[in-house]
Amino acid sequence: MEKFAKAFPSKPLPSKTAKPWALAGVVGSGNLEVLLERGGRPSGTMECHVETSIPGYKASWLAALADFAHHYPAGGTKVTINDQGAPPVLVNLRLRQAYDHLTKGDK
Amino acid sequence: MKKPTSKKPSARAVLARLFGASAKGIAMEKSVLTGYATVGGAGVCVIGTCDGTYIDNAAALRLAAHVIDCVEHHPKTPIVMLVDSAGQEPNRVAEMLGLASYFGHLLSCLELARRKGHKLITVATGQAIGGAFICYGMFGDRIYALESASVGLMPIEAMSAVTKIPVPVLQKLSKTLPSLEFGAKPFALLGGVQEVWSAKDDVQAKLAKAIANSSTEDNRAELGKKRGGRKLALDVRKRVLASSLR
Amino acid sequence: MTSGPLFHEQTARQRIAALADTGSFAELLPPPERLTSPYLVQLGIPVSFDDGLVIGRAKIGGKKVYLAAQVGQFVGGAVGEIHGAKLTGLFKAAARDRVPCVLIIESGGVRLHEGSAGEIAIAETMRAIFECRAKKVPTIAVIATDIGAYGGMGILSTCCDFRVMTEHGRLGISGPIVIEKWMGKKAYDSSNRALVWKTSGGKTKYLLGDADALVHDGADAVRDAVAKLLGKSSPVSLKGVKERQKELEKRLKRFGDTADPDAVWKGMGVRNIEAASLASGPEFAALAKRGK
Repeated sequence: MEKFAKAFPSKPLPSKTAKPWALAGVVGSGNLEVLLERGGRPSGTMECHVETSIPGYKASWLAALADFAHHYPAGGTKVTINDQGAPPVLVNLRLRQAYDHLTKGDK
Repeated sequence: MKKPTSKKPSARAVLARLFGASAKGIAMEKSVLTGYATVGGAGVCVIGTCDGTYIDNAAALRLAAHVIDCVEHHPKTPIVMLVDSAGQEPNRVAEMLGLASYFGHLLSCLELARRKGHKLITVATGQAIGGAFICYGMFGDRIYALESASVGLMPIEAMSAVTKIPVPVLQKLSKTLPSLEFGAKPFALLGGVQEVWSAKDDVQAKLAKAIANSSTEDNRAELGKKRGGRKLALDVRKRVLASSLR
Repeated sequence: MTSGPLFHEQTARQRIAALADTGSFAELLPPPERLTSPYLVQLGIPVSFDDGLVIGRAKIGGKKVYLAAQVGQFVGGAVGEIHGAKLTGLFKAAARDRVPCVLIIESGGVRLHEGSAGEIAIAETMRAIFECRAKKVPTIAVIATDIGAYGGMGILSTCCDFRVMTEHGRLGISGPIVIEKWMGKKAYDSSNRALVWKTSGGKTKYLLGDADALVHDGADAVRDAVAKLLGKSSPVSLKGVKERQKELEKRLKRFGDTADPDAVWKGMGVRNIEAASLASGPEFAALAKRGK
């Protein structure tokens, strides 16, 4: 297991979201879960915590998260990830799904 | 998964130790025990397994039939459940015919007995492993184990074989997580066994006391927390109960 | 045929959303509570925020229920200490509040990585299920995937009042791979999907009377079947267990020496095995009822 955390600059999250937290994905082989929570954090950064079963890919994780924080207004959120070897494309998809659930609801 | 070859007291010797001369009222057929005996001068119904046998559909039915007999003809007589079984029978025909349902039926019979005022006392006398323990023994009001009994999900070696986690890793962790350890004592730390009876104990007196002190309130999570072997279960359950009220 | 996604392809959370009335599900101990397994962490295995079990309050067809779904993808949906304590707590809440409890099972049984703690939790949950039944609070197990209900969870499912299955659902104790290892490939070839399915699948369980409903593999059909059972309960009675004893004795006598599942199907009144194999769940149930 490898564990790391970092905050990335991001534009503030819209003041109104559908819910206080959202979860996307499941922990299973080649998959991951992303928990996205709002509230109580500096509005200019997205705080990220990752735990992954495949060590050695910290740089690509940080790049993916930085990219997401850059493209989506996610400032003031906390992202927590439990990963069991998901490919990068799936990481990106889950982040977007969690963000959509948070901001627009489950539909 | 071999049956242990180490010298164990015979099934009859175990029965004599628990029930004295009254053990003659317990029939033993294909390693399934059914009968009536006395404990501290009072009558008890006995069901159980011996010789580390595998429990199959027929065995479950025989145990269930005896519980029904007790409920019908011996109202409120305590039921003592003895467990010495290595597990359920891994057999395709048994599965096809619904072994799980046979076990569910046995549990339903025991539940009926409990609701009708029969005390249910379990004594793990030999192997009390996996599905064989779940299908009747763990359903007792109070569960006891002889010190020599092999109680638990499975030995560390078997756990390692299935999970592919090396034996030394599991052994090291079991020092702080007794749930991973196999045996009557660690199982008692989890609250799964009320008390472990040693070779020196007067088990007839212990059994009489167990029947007298029995309660239908499931206390295993409380015990597990108090004894430190299962630290989370009770609190998580309480949180579910509290948050569901809101 | 109903439209919409196949139930067996959905995730636990999607299944819950599909069964519950829109917007009615309120999760208990949700992911932000981070109740993760201390065992898995120490073994270097990824944890999950819900420990593989989603539980909560909901409504189905306007009726209050407690609703739970196991996450089969997470350690095989297996029951560890936290997962098991959530399960026990939910059934205890159901008994206390006299609200029916619906459990979507997808589990191989006890989580081996957590040893005996999960085993005890399953036994505790069984006690809680029977608490519900004594109070005539319905308990319903839904078994709809090939991960199914196995091991202790297979036994637990038979403690509930009712079992709703789809043809994809499998119910048993020992899985095919375990039995093959034990008895040899000749006795049970676990790669023979047709045989596995006829041994533990929903159709055979329904025929024998171990599943109470056999429905199409879709959320609508599962929800309808569950909704129909919410008003019913089957408290344990002497009359009931005596009847069941006779039925199970008869089953064992008739089929105990039968290795061939088709013989069981025929014995239970299925005349055209091929047509019945191809039939969908509800079609099969109708055929079985009419003895075709």
